[in-house]
Amino acid sequence: MSNNILTQNDIQHVDYKDIDLLKQFVNPHGRIVGRKKSGLTAKQQREMERAIKRARFMGLLPYVAK
Amino acid sequence: MSAIALETADDAGVSRIYEVGYHIVPTVKEEDLDKVVGGIRSIVEKVGGSFIAEGAPALTRLAYPMTIREGEKYIEHDRWYFGWLKFEADVAVASALDEAMKRSADIMRHMVFRTVREDTRAKYRAPQLREVKRTDTIKTIARRPEEASAPVSEEDLEKALQDITAE
Repeated sequence: MSNNILTQNDIQHVDYKDIDLLKQFVNPHGRIVGRKKSGLTAKQQREMERAIKRARFMGLLPYVAK
Repeated sequence: MSAIALETADDAGVSRIYEVGYHIVPTVKEEDLDKVVGGIRSIVEKVGGSFIAEGAPALTRLAYPMTIREGEKYIEHDRWYFGWLKFEADVAVASALDEAMKRSADIMRHMVFRTVREDTRAKYRAPQLREVKRTDTIKTIARRPEEASAPVSEEDLEKALQDITAE
């Protein structure tokens, strides 16, 4: 069974302000997880990465944690 | 050079959807926030841009502290007023807004980027840890209140001791 959170919840766009959603795609150190673990399509993964990087720049997510 | 600045050369006169996210310095008083946001809005309104959605600035705890320079010192703040604005405007407007926000002393950090008209906020709630019922709890029995006893005289104590030792 696929563990694609975006498809399961019918999410079309990833917003950098959705911190709860983006936190699902970073590990405890704050690093972005790969496609193997996120289960996203290539397009979704790119969009998710872009949103996380925007959130980091705006201080909503950490660059490094722990 | 930002992505927005790169767009202007080829796409002048094209109307697009943009979003701007910004942090207002925490030293600004709450009653002055409207003035700062009004300044951002006026740039878009002046050239005929239309607003689609807005998030009013609210004091937000950041994931890492950012510093601002106050005179000679750099002071760290971990709470900033974060707000955002989605609008439709010409490519040149986005570039002008970017430049104006760079110059503004009240806006510490900002970001202008292209987006879509639809609401991009996801209705997603992160799964919470389930509350597990504990089965290994220890039941405590309420202590009985101690019976009030009358004070014992020394003579009685001596007598009782002698009785014990005599046996």
